[in-house]
Amino acid sequence: MSGSKPDILWAPHHVDRFVVCDSELSLYHIESAVSSELKAGSLRLSEETTATLLSINSDTPYMKCVAWYPKYDPECLLAVGQANGRVVLTSLGQDHNSKSKELIGKEFVPKHARQCNTLAWNPLDSNWLAAGLDKHRADFSVLIWDISSKYTPESAVATEKVRLSAGDTEAGLVVTKPLYELGQNDACLSLCWLPRDQKLLLAGMHRNLAIFDLRNTSQKMFVNTKAVQGVTVDPYFHDRVASFYEGQVAIWDLRKFEKPVLTLTEQPKPLTKVTWCPTRTGLLATLTRDSNIIRLYDMQHTPTPIGDETEPTIIERSVQPCDNYIASFAWHPTSQNRMVVVTPNRTMSDFTVFERISLAWSPVTSLMWACGRHLYECTEEGKASSLEKDIATKMRLRALSRYGLDTEQVWRNHLLLTGNKGSLVYAGIKSIVKSSLGTTESLRHRRSGSDRQADIIQYLSEERSLALQLCGWIKKGMDLDVEPFLNSLEQEGDWERAAAVALFNLDIRRAIQILNKGASSGKGDLNLNVVAMALSGYTDEKNSLWREMCSTLRLQLNNPYLCAMFAFLTSESGSYDGVLYENKVAVRDRVAFACKFLSDAQLNRFIEKLTNELKDAGNLEGILLTGLTKDGVDLMESYVDRTGDVQTASYCMLQGSPSDVLKDERVQYWIENYRNLLDAWRFWHKRAEFDIHRSKLDPSSKPLAQVFVSCNFCGKSISYSCSAIPHQGRGFSQYGVSGSPTKSKVTSCPGCRKPLPRCALCLINMGTPVSSCPGVSKSDEKVDLSKDKKLAQFNNWFTWCHNCRHGGHAGHMLSWFRDHTECPVSACSCKCMQLDTTGNLIPAETIQP
Amino acid sequence: MFVARPIAADHRDLIHDVSFDFHGRRMATCSSDQSVKVWDKSENGDWRCTASWKTHSGSVWRVTWAHPEFGQVLASCSFDRTAVVWEEIVGESNDKLRGQSHWVKRTTLVDSRTSVTDVKFAPKHMGLMLATCSADGVVRIYEAPDVMNLSQWSLQHEISCKLSCSCISWNPSSSRAHSPMIAVGSDDNSPNILAKVQIYEYNENTRKYAKAETLMTVTDPVHDIAFAPNLGRSFHILAVATKDVRIFTLKPVRKELTSSGGLTKFEIQIVAQFDNHNSQVWRVSWNITGTVLASSGDDGCVRLWKANYMDNWKCTGILKGNGSPVNGSSQQGVFNASLGSANTSLQNSLNGSAKHTF
Repeated sequence: MSGSKPDILWAPHHVDRFVVCDSELSLYHIESAVSSELKAGSLRLSEETTATLLSINSDTPYMKCVAWYPKYDPECLLAVGQANGRVVLTSLGQDHNSKSKELIGKEFVPKHARQCNTLAWNPLDSNWLAAGLDKHRADFSVLIWDISSKYTPESAVATEKVRLSAGDTEAGLVVTKPLYELGQNDACLSLCWLPRDQKLLLAGMHRNLAIFDLRNTSQKMFVNTKAVQGVTVDPYFHDRVASFYEGQVAIWDLRKFEKPVLTLTEQPKPLTKVTWCPTRTGLLATLTRDSNIIRLYDMQHTPTPIGDETEPTIIERSVQPCDNYIASFAWHPTSQNRMVVVTPNRTMSDFTVFERISLAWSPVTSLMWACGRHLYECTEEGKASSLEKDIATKMRLRALSRYGLDTEQVWRNHLLLTGNKGSLVYAGIKSIVKSSLGTTESLRHRRSGSDRQADIIQYLSEERSLALQLCGWIKKGMDLDVEPFLNSLEQEGDWERAAAVALFNLDIRRAIQILNKGASSGKGDLNLNVVAMALSGYTDEKNSLWREMCSTLRLQLNNPYLCAMFAFLTSESGSYDGVLYENKVAVRDRVAFACKFLSDAQLNRFIEKLTNELKDAGNLEGILLTGLTKDGVDLMESYVDRTGDVQTASYCMLQGSPSDVLKDERVQYWIENYRNLLDAWRFWHKRAEFDIHRSKLDPSSKPLAQVFVSCNFCGKSISYSCSAIPHQGRGFSQYGVSGSPTKSKVTSCPGCRKPLPRCALCLINMGTPVSSCPGVSKSDEKVDLSKDKKLAQFNNWFTWCHNCRHGGHAGHMLSWFRDHTECPVSACSCKCMQLDTTGNLIPAETIQP
Repeated sequence: MFVARPIAADHRDLIHDVSFDFHGRRMATCSSDQSVKVWDKSENGDWRCTASWKTHSGSVWRVTWAHPEFGQVLASCSFDRTAVVWEEIVGESNDKLRGQSHWVKRTTLVDSRTSVTDVKFAPKHMGLMLATCSADGVVRIYEAPDVMNLSQWSLQHEISCKLSCSCISWNPSSSRAHSPMIAVGSDDNSPNILAKVQIYEYNENTRKYAKAETLMTVTDPVHDIAFAPNLGRSFHILAVATKDVRIFTLKPVRKELTSSGGLTKFEIQIVAQFDNHNSQVWRVSWNITGTVLASSGDDGCVRLWKANYMDNWKCTGILKGNGSPVNGSSQQGVFNASLGSANTSLQNSLNGSAKHTF
């Protein structure tokens, strides 16, 4: 600790004080300060804490080691070991009460001057202070001083003392006779008292570790080792000791002291400090020279008794409390895993070592983690914009809002094409267009609004107009009239798109009209007028200024539709890349455009190319092209790969052809995954609705009946609807329930006319309608009976416990188990209601608002 | 915005694992105090401990739930070299009156000669199966042939991984196109450069698990590994917690290209690599859709990662282990890694070693 390398110590009892020692002792007070501004004279140690300097003590030069007095009182009493082997008691406290006065300034002087390497207060008898010294011939190197002793110095030593520190001549403060002298003819590098017994001292001597027993000083237990530095006892397991040598830490078990129980992986640089964490079991912190990392060894189990040879589980971790090299560190005595580190230039930082955090996501987007002994639940709160929301949250919300069950978008194919072309029911534009090869007629048109000669070739065929219908430009049955579509776009305020569609239908006047309307409408963009003006200046001349300006300026237009409009006007007939590859224009508009203006060969090539592009990108707009075919499944696969949105995929593909698409393994897998998701969220009602929806579109997915109920007497099924299905030999469900709620008047088996079992509560044969439940208030029954007739019939069904096989009317059973856990049948102690934990879970939809 | 709130856990020592059941209504925690606790979520969202019992004679490393169709079943593994299967018993004791549930030991799996470091139930469609891994480098796969009898488990497979195992993860995909698959991570920290993540696949023909892939680039100790919930994807996503967070994708090469019956070939890509924790990463966990990854590291922070549509992964949230938010401006030292640098490190990794195929 010579000048350059500061050391740091926490006060053992004042949890907010620590001392930094290099050439002088500086006492700091630490306090929490969350606010960003610093008080005058305080240093920031971390985001939450600052330190203020309380006092400085420079009375003791040549400091080699410092040890804090372990008792609460007197305040801030420290023992300082000096380069000459003297140990001085000094204080940093402000209050000088009588007790500390006696002690402060006391010096303990060895016979021969040599460096004091280490100091250790006895934790049980705080009057005992052990000092470890360098070797001096045959002299003792471990001296134990009694700080309460009042020996006067011998004259010989007094002269020496005067020579060394001339200022202090006060008699009575210098002690030269130690209580015990140990370690003759040896050097002592480190010391620690063993908590097992007041009189046991562990010392790291030159080339061995020794345990001195003060009850019998002639005996010592020792083991030869190089790891003699920094001996320290685990505060949680008093038999476990760590020491180090160069870059290696050795862990010892005092019960089998012959060799280290383990050595930790060697570090490249020599170690400077090794300390057990006082607030946590089995955590050892180590520091090497010139390093900004504190390496932690987490020994995650109690040391096993002797003889049990298990490999220890040690987790090695490293923390980096600051960017600079660390000179020293000190654990906080009580605050969990907290330490203060100090750098060579005396900057300090307050730091907490976090425990390894283990974490788990719950199915409902909350995250739970365990840090140390504490649990934290983390939930997403506040309104995140829909873009930021994760697909898991989105799907949950969509499922709650009946996503997929209402939308008509996906079956537009269906509606448009039924009866028209059977083979194309599920097809997309791609196959429609393919089938149109050769049937196309071309029409030459003149761009209206111009008088010059420039023919634009338009193509027409039945399939092409079908494609236009699918794109939404024209309606079924009507001629190629886009007016309704334009009107609806105008109503939505989608002016640019409406203008573009009008223009693509070669009605430049209508386009200008739309733009003007847009500019004059409330929220309209005035720039639209400018665009309209530019549009009206349209000329066919190849080399006109207008054309030149348009083709350069159009790239600066922000709106893709406006951009596409000018691209169309400035392009040569037959090459419309500026429109077709304007990626921000909706796919259906581009496809519709292509269907109007591209020749068969071009169109096919374009559609093919676009399809593949959209497929690779997983862009759902591409469904328009692929339809719900194998191609569509490929596209959807790429969409699912990117988004994980199996919900959309499932609903979408359900509309596909049962024989082809629905049998696809991938589609089945998406549906299975989506159902599983709904189950995990306890959206059981939604899952059931999905299943119903699914079985309408894919009858093969309908599950078979799960339970058959047979009569006690004749063994025949008592259900009417299922009577056609063979069911004999299912002896395990003897007591009966009718799966069909349709007949409620029959109290006998349809096969043998014997009566059905009785309800355990009303004692009337099953099959009779339920009389209103006794003792149930109206509020409980609000849904069950009055509102819906179907629900009322549910009360007539009968249910039974799988365990005790007692049962009765569902309504009666429900009302019974509202207040009871045991079976209603006398002498049956079956806890029917608690048998199934999942059964007690409530579907999540009923809780959600 | 993620907000964390503390729950009084009342464990007497470090908690090593947290695990949710299928519905997220129940939770299990295990600790160095040798016990397991089961928590139930009340209707108002509070967690209540409904069972706490001593499970092992050593630190309990991991706890995991079986799918509820097999009943209320837990498995735990411990330093005491065993893994244990637990089942909740209802209606047979007075525990319910005290609001406590009763768990009984169904079986103890004692095949390991060293600490059992991880235990995981196989995906539901494979039946009731359980995999364990141990510090001596053996992965064991057990099966309960009769799902109604949880006291009988037979050791079906023993895979020797040669390296001390720290974690396992089943591939959750239930697609028939994907064979059962298990990834194993090793925390072996001896100074060798062996790959620390191995992937084993079940071969229908030999009825054995065989090594399908090794992630050659992962040479540092691996602390956790997690396959993302598959959710209909045609490929698999694997997160690895080592000295940084890494996300791999495993794309099965189409069957028709590979010889039939053999092992699936995979095209493996590293899609993200983040060293924002600035230190060892301890755990990774996927959300239910496999779209958000949470990781925890030695910097005491929990970070959330999410990919955008272009498959660029980014940090979308940081919280400190004690639940307090990390404020970006006054960060110092280890907390220096900001949101922005996530992207750059990804870019670096992509420019550097990424996009290689094994």
